Amino acid sequence: MSQTTVIRKKDRASRTIEGLRKFWRVFSQNTAAVIGLTMFLIILTIAILAPWIAPYDPYEKVGLPMQPPNEAHLLGTNDVGQDILSELIYGSRISLLIGFIAAVVATLIGTLVGMIAGYYGGLVDEALMRATDVWLSFPGLLLTIFLATVLIKTPIGGKIIYTVIFAIALNAWPGVARLVRSVTLKIKELPYIEAARAIGASNRRILLKHIIPNATPIILVAVLTRIDSAMLTEASLSFLGIGDPTVKSWGMIIHYAMIRNAIVIGMWWWFIPPGLMISLSVLSIILISMGIEEYINPRLRESM
Amino acid sequence: MKKLLIRRALTSLITFFSAITIVFIISRLSGDPLAELLENPEVSPETVEALRRAFGLDQPLHMQYINFIIATLSGQLGYSINYKRPVLDVLIAKLPYTVALLIPAITLSNYFAYRLGVESGWRRGRKFDVLLTSSSLFIRATPHFWLAILFLYVFGAVLNWAPLFGAVTPGKVFESPWEWLLDYLWHYILPVSVITIRATGAMFLYIRNSLVEVLGEDYIMAAMAKGLPDKIVLYKHAARNALLPAVTMMGLRYAFIIDGAVLTETVFSYPGTGRLVFEAIIFRDYYLLQGAIIILTTSVILVNFLIDILYLYLDPRVRYR
Repeated sequence: MSQTTVIRKKDRASRTIEGLRKFWRVFSQNTAAVIGLTMFLIILTIAILAPWIAPYDPYEKVGLPMQPPNEAHLLGTNDVGQDILSELIYGSRISLLIGFIAAVVATLIGTLVGMIAGYYGGLVDEALMRATDVWLSFPGLLLTIFLATVLIKTPIGGKIIYTVIFAIALNAWPGVARLVRSVTLKIKELPYIEAARAIGASNRRILLKHIIPNATPIILVAVLTRIDSAMLTEASLSFLGIGDPTVKSWGMIIHYAMIRNAIVIGMWWWFIPPGLMISLSVLSIILISMGIEEYINPRLRESM
Repeated sequence: MKKLLIRRALTSLITFFSAITIVFIISRLSGDPLAELLENPEVSPETVEALRRAFGLDQPLHMQYINFIIATLSGQLGYSINYKRPVLDVLIAKLPYTVALLIPAITLSNYFAYRLGVESGWRRGRKFDVLLTSSSLFIRATPHFWLAILFLYVFGAVLNWAPLFGAVTPGKVFESPWEWLLDYLWHYILPVSVITIRATGAMFLYIRNSLVEVLGEDYIMAAMAKGLPDKIVLYKHAARNALLPAVTMMGLRYAFIIDGAVLTETVFSYPGTGRLVFEAIIFRDYYLLQGAIIILTTSVILVNFLIDILYLYLDPRVRYR
């Protein structure tokens, strides 16, 4: 290891820090984005600290059923006497985690498709992008419902939750594929790619060493902007009863509330708080993504 | 123009066949469709074999695929276990309810999104704009089914203004068609409002941002410098151009609205195609689910095709080529 590589590494690190600082200067000017970030951090903290801050075990019967909010149960209890506040707190773990993993998987699939299509071009590009368009013409939720109900019969790795994540990701990848394809097309035309090819670098090397690192910021943003729709899809699936009935996400809590007629009976404490949690989490992610998009695309800054 | 039309039609046809192919592939992902019956002690293995032959499942996969396409094209979508009727009959009986929800929801949401988006973009950064933009973000973040639940709870359960389920009051004898219509509309208003509001919220920001971008163009400044009234600059010059990219989004929005109809009909127990999807999940009515997805996806492809034509007609650059 020569001295120059060490210096170059240090240089890269300090450049990243400098870039982040610049990003934060723009991002922190956007009040809505900062509010979103704050909201998201609060929800994330709740999810991480769930076992310590939840007053009860959400899967245990801890009181009389169907109690309205009171001192012992701040958000009341459900039809079997489980504490709803504890359900909410634990539910944040499941909803956030499924949303996050599904977004990552969708981005991986989309990046692979988009990069191959953009880099190789020609017939490969045509075929892959046609497939992407077909996929986009499906009503997304219906396709996910269909995939999930079919796949749940023989769950991936024996776990329904993996199957659900996979089904959500399969619905969300086309957007990423289009995005990454356009970025790849742009990077491909840059002179240093041509230089790399001139000294005999293989396609694989160019893709891994030059294109992926340059597309990374865009890919990271793609993950973030998929989390909100992935969370909404997960909530809708759970609400319709597709999912592991023993894993209580926020959507699943509302599913149980609906099939036990909580809406008609008027047990608002059962279905309003989980819906509010979904909305706030999704909103926080939308606000953060808008802040980041504004940084990437300065023209937007003028339009807001 | 004619050439373009034919090309669009061909693309739609290819999309349609690809969609059916994807449905076929997904339907075979779970392995043997008769596996559950084989384990059922009440069904003899001979019956299962007979079913296998009847469904053509003993044939090689490519033959199954060809049969599947022929069956789909001729409307044989299988048999609903829950309704004990052919899937197509069940779907056709329920489709009018959903179409009656979708057409006004699409029309109204597009109109509202257009008017509000244009007015909001024009007043960029002022109170009106900030209010509308932030409410549209809230609506976007709200799960569709939860918005429906809120409406059902507030207007149905608490205020008692609207009924809690169904498309008409069950068991009621109507003395005149008017009475039926009134009862129908009374059940109709909440679901259609939910779908419209959610769709407007999703579309609004797109038109607004598109308009803001157009307002920065030189020809807008030229129009203003000529001393044209604001209204004319806004609606004759800016809005028309802002609308063009939004039209291409309408197809995607239509697919989104169908998703919304499934969830909304489920919450309001509204007897349409969307509710059938929920029932099919709950009762494991597999062919019904598949049939509903084929019908709804086909409608999306059809609408996309119509929007493409509309776009060709709207964009003079294409029209006069």
